[in-house]
Amino acid sequence: MSAVLEVRQISHHFGGLHVLRGVNFSVAEGSVTGLIGPNGAGKSTLFNIISGFLRPTEGEIIDSGETITRLTIQQRSYAGLIRTFQTPQVFGQLTVRENLIAGCYKQGRTGVIKSLLKFPAVRLELAEAARLADQTCIEFGLEAVSDQLAGRLPAGQRRLVELARAAISKPRLLCLDEPSSGLSSEEVAQLMRILHQLTKAGITILLVSHDMDLMEISSVIYVLCFGEIIASGSMSELQADPQVREAYLGV
Amino acid sequence: MSAWSRLSGPLLKYAGVAFLVAAWAIVPVVAGRSTVDILVFTALYTIAGLGVAFLLGQCGIVSLAQSVFFGIGAYSTAYGVTVLGWPATVSMVTGVTLSGFIAAAVGIPVLRLSGYFLALATLALAIIGQVLFLEWDWLTGGTLGIGGITPISLFGYSLNTPFRFYYFVWPIVIVVIWLHYNLLQSRTGIAMRAMRDAPSAAAVIGVNIARLKVKIFVLSAVLGSFAGSLFAHYVSFVSVDSFGVDRAINFLLIAVLGGVRSIAGTVLGAFFVTSAPHLLSQFGDVHALLFAALLIVAVIYLPGGFGGAIAQAWRKLSGESRVAENVGGVRRP
Repeated sequence: MSAVLEVRQISHHFGGLHVLRGVNFSVAEGSVTGLIGPNGAGKSTLFNIISGFLRPTEGEIIDSGETITRLTIQQRSYAGLIRTFQTPQVFGQLTVRENLIAGCYKQGRTGVIKSLLKFPAVRLELAEAARLADQTCIEFGLEAVSDQLAGRLPAGQRRLVELARAAISKPRLLCLDEPSSGLSSEEVAQLMRILHQLTKAGITILLVSHDMDLMEISSVIYVLCFGEIIASGSMSELQADPQVREAYLGV
Repeated sequence: MSAWSRLSGPLLKYAGVAFLVAAWAIVPVVAGRSTVDILVFTALYTIAGLGVAFLLGQCGIVSLAQSVFFGIGAYSTAYGVTVLGWPATVSMVTGVTLSGFIAAAVGIPVLRLSGYFLALATLALAIIGQVLFLEWDWLTGGTLGIGGITPISLFGYSLNTPFRFYYFVWPIVIVVIWLHYNLLQSRTGIAMRAMRDAPSAAAVIGVNIARLKVKIFVLSAVLGSFAGSLFAHYVSFVSVDSFGVDRAINFLLIAVLGGVRSIAGTVLGAFFVTSAPHLLSQFGDVHALLFAALLIVAVIYLPGGFGGAIAQAWRKLSGESRVAENVGGVRRP
């Protein structure tokens, strides 16, 4: 299996604080790859560097053989790299359905001028996006709340809306930041089902989570500790690793 | 559902529209010159105010810079028509183009800011504009201004009275409102609101936030400039007094009072801002104080602006559960 994402020698420091030191790892195509580590290990910084919210001090991010370190967030999005956020970021004043229609943004082509003058393409594009949105609402079990403002939903459903929006926006690599936090146990079960479906559809997933039950779905897990990868392997391998047990699992 | 209740919604709508059109057509006939004058200014300020309301309501951008573009439009028309002898359209297009370019040049650095910082930066633009309008007297006539701007002539028919201008300018307002609605009901409209609600998530779904903000800012400036040009033709005399910071604040007031999410509300906001000072002026020196008091009352009792109040009333009247709250929302097919 070839690597969709390669993180090469990534270092980052904020002033004198070295958050990441020469981090290397790769995400194989079609896999679910996990990233765990104690609080302050640098997971969020690494995630921000991968998704384009931060430029690393050193090192490269390679997407399917191409260096994307200097690409903007939207360029990465067009390349198929989509992330979610630790605190779910929904478009609060839009309905759930409109959130998903917004997720189809990249599939559209019409610009400001055509929109102002009400070109037929504008309506067709929106109708197609609306159709996809309705379909995705059903897939994610959101049809009952599809006309509600996303900002008024409980935290678990907001997370689901964010994930549905990510799924509709044509990802190749989906980077999920703590997707199960704030979810009820039924919602976590639903999340697992959805993640299975997404991988079945050929989408690669990079998963950051504290939730060890959710982590079970990862084929490879990397352990980040004080800005360095200290171990990698399957869940059972890691559980047997004394260094990991001491640093993270605390068992 | 009975046939009547199914019909009553649309009927009510059409009856309302027909009534508004009839009232609009008849006002100049029954009302005096000063009322028509106020309504013309309402139209002019609606056009410029829509630019501000759009930025604020759909993109979350507070702009106090609209007076600058209003001024650029007015001075382009004044200078073009009186000094250079250009036709009205050429002067107007020059102003609009100039405003667009300036908005882009200024917007690229300034729109990176957000919240209070952005508001302050646009206030700074308004102040810079006011100073330049005053200091560049070779171009603007300084405090003396530029007079003798000829009225717009349409197919040889001069729009030289408030009545004639009234019938000319309101259809333009309708067209501008139509353009606004179109933009809202599009991929770009959704992207704008997405960017307003959660900028980082909007970037992740592929919206080029910086570019979209600049585009909308340019659009807003173009409207301001267009309104400024019309204003110059209408009043025939422009001076720096018309394009100060107080005017910038007035444009923002129009947007806020109208209810930033409501396009129709903007018209009412503009009407309030033009008519209230006029009505209150009969009370003498305290009129500014009364205006301020009225503003406070309006903001407290109508948090959604006039637009929000109308939407609520309409909901009650027609029993519909969800109207106007989400202007430009994508309706089910």
